[in-house]
Amino acid sequence: MTQVTADPFTLWHPVASAHDVPYRHVHHGQLLGRELAVWRADDDYVNVWENRCLHRGVRLSIGMNDGTELRCQYHGWRYANRSAGCTYIPAHPADAPARTICNRTFASVERYGLVWSGEDPVGDPPTVEVLEAGTPFGLRNLPVNASAELAVQHLRDHRFLPSARLGSDPAGSAGSAEMSVDGAGDYSVVLTSRAGGAQSTAVFFVQPVDSGRCVIRGVLAETPAPSEQAAVLRHHAVELNRLVARIEAEAARLPAPEPMVPVLQQVPLHLAEVPEAPAGRQAALRVQVRRKWETAAGVAAFELVPITGVLPTFQPGAHIDVHLPNGLVRQYSITNGPGETSYYRLGVKLEPDSTGGSVCLHETVREGDVLAISEPRNNFPLRRDSMRTILLAGGIGITPLLAMAQSLDRMSLAFELHCFAQSAEHTAFSDVLDRLGESVVRHLGLPPDETVAEIRRLVAAHDEFTHLYVCGPGPMLEAARREAAAAGWSDDHVHFEYFKNTTEIDDSSTFEVALARSALTVTVLSGSTILEVLREQGVPLPSSCEQGACGTCVATVLEGEPDHQDVYLNDSDHEAGDRIMTCVSRALSDRLVLDL
Amino acid sequence: MIKLYDYVLSVNCYKQRLMMSILDVAYETVPVDFFPGWEHKGEEFKKINPLGHIPVIDDDGYILWDAHAILVYLAARYDPSGRWYPTGDPGLLGETASWMLFAEGTTNTASAARLCVNLGYDFDLEACQAGAHRLFRVLDEHLWFREREGREWVCSGAHPTIADIALFPDVVLSEEGGISRLDYPALRRWTDRVKRIPGFEGMPGIFPASPGL
Repeated sequence: MTQVTADPFTLWHPVASAHDVPYRHVHHGQLLGRELAVWRADDDYVNVWENRCLHRGVRLSIGMNDGTELRCQYHGWRYANRSAGCTYIPAHPADAPARTICNRTFASVERYGLVWSGEDPVGDPPTVEVLEAGTPFGLRNLPVNASAELAVQHLRDHRFLPSARLGSDPAGSAGSAEMSVDGAGDYSVVLTSRAGGAQSTAVFFVQPVDSGRCVIRGVLAETPAPSEQAAVLRHHAVELNRLVARIEAEAARLPAPEPMVPVLQQVPLHLAEVPEAPAGRQAALRVQVRRKWETAAGVAAFELVPITGVLPTFQPGAHIDVHLPNGLVRQYSITNGPGETSYYRLGVKLEPDSTGGSVCLHETVREGDVLAISEPRNNFPLRRDSMRTILLAGGIGITPLLAMAQSLDRMSLAFELHCFAQSAEHTAFSDVLDRLGESVVRHLGLPPDETVAEIRRLVAAHDEFTHLYVCGPGPMLEAARREAAAAGWSDDHVHFEYFKNTTEIDDSSTFEVALARSALTVTVLSGSTILEVLREQGVPLPSSCEQGACGTCVATVLEGEPDHQDVYLNDSDHEAGDRIMTCVSRALSDRLVLDL
Repeated sequence: MIKLYDYVLSVNCYKQRLMMSILDVAYETVPVDFFPGWEHKGEEFKKINPLGHIPVIDDDGYILWDAHAILVYLAARYDPSGRWYPTGDPGLLGETASWMLFAEGTTNTASAARLCVNLGYDFDLEACQAGAHRLFRVLDEHLWFREREGREWVCSGAHPTIADIALFPDVVLSEEGGISRLDYPALRRWTDRVKRIPGFEGMPGIFPASPGL
């Protein structure tokens, strides 16, 4: 009897063969009682996930792999390649899912034509000398209704013929071969067959599916000549089927073991509770500049990769804070399409009147440098329930809209991306735009008045199923909002993101702020901001741009009349007065009550 | 126009809807209260099909029953390319007939198990499930070798046949009968390919596949 010596939960096991995970498919796997959804993204990363949607526990193996994301069949929640973070919840089309909504992932390494994973594997997947030295060739895997231990035990007596003996006699009997066991582990057996001067070595890995089920995954050390492969595969299938019949016959005589009960991860306490808002501008991540290049005249592009681990999930419209070597903090949109999860790609325009942010990125930051960045934040979420989406990009305003366009394109949703730029040379990320085909319309070299006329034309026709997203320089954005309003668009169909707030901030007022939840009342004197005063009092509020453009430091107003000075909220929001950007806005009334 | 005596949850009726959708044949359905009304066992319905089962088609007065026979008729009559029922290729036609008979087996095991679980039929559920697993094992190995040959379908041709249509619903709804397809990865990949046939339509319990590459 083979003794199981190592804890199987700390070992690497094969969970799929490479041919089980073609593109656009979700393999249904199981290891040690736990069901897995295994899927290959178009960038060849193989995801090994717990086979249940966080939302209602539905199997993700019946979901759709669109090459970049896995979509649950029930309510359409979408999860990103690599990180398994949720990127979109159709029932909440206007909201960005919290970054903490993330499926459980397991390790994943491809080796010898197999996908290796494990519950809690230690070290690297096993290396097998004969396979390292050879040219591994995968046999058909066979499911067995018996324990892995029993299968391994029987595999030691397994017989087959050397590949070279099969070309002439595919039906040859394996009985004539001389077999030797060249190695054996708890979940593998290495066998060599010798006959008529020929020899072949095969490694049989046994995947413990459950206590009473396993899969035998055979790999020949040497790939047979193409003309012989069919005969070799047939021969092994016949011999392995015989072996499986013997194993199952013995297993049927033994008492059936109790199925394994996988431990489903509970939602961690810190996610189950109302999260504590981080104080100040956090730079939780360290990334390395893998690539820096000029994507257009005066526009530098950066690819940032994680130093360890996986980057947090982002959604189209999300931005990060980049903490620059010179101490400045700047916000840049993530331009990646869905599934491009191994890096963040940014586009930075050199601003002639830069206060040091874009100059630093253009001139000081180089490939290989390490930068501190915040986790992605999405204050410019993209709805996916519109019949038609119009994206208006002015210059470098293309960055968030590029991410949106790629998501819409992947989901086959109708959109138009209008790029306004000085010239083709000034159009950033043309390579990505080219891939989006006819949905992209370039408007090059238009003077301001013609730009406005063009925008007027573009927003003229609309209905309640059309949404508009605008990002660009202030004047263009103002024009787009004005033209859309004139054409009868309602505010909640027009979404925009400013680069910066050019409003001259009037901070002369003095007023009182009462915090309903914290039972604290503070006075905001002229010259200071609500955000600053609250921080001094130890009330943590997240923030990012701190100039009223990005929407991160928003607070809910319960009483009082805000004095809005931001460019994040739209006119209807300003009129409603139930939200306030605490970094720049103030109070017209003597007192504000905030839901903090 | 073809009239299909239909029950929306019946795999055998779905086979006809799927075939007609793929062949772009116009038809209308006559809903039969299969469950819980057992209308197909009533005297009125037996005037149409004395065997008292569905589906039945009425193509301008031409009446035909038995799911797999109707598939033969629909493909032979409405597929001018002759690929779905390859009468022009004896070898392929023989394979098609062989796998159609195999599909009788999956209907009598996998789909019978589903009738036990969903509609309370008094079959031997365990025997149905064990029988389905035996057939699925054979089909999975067969499809795995097809993939090695660079082929995608049950028969050896480059184009799907009515055998794929006859097998698909029994396979893809097996989990409703308590038959997991976890052990049959090649079978699962083939269901994705069937779902990507132009004109494919689903039924309750059958989800679409993502677009292929």
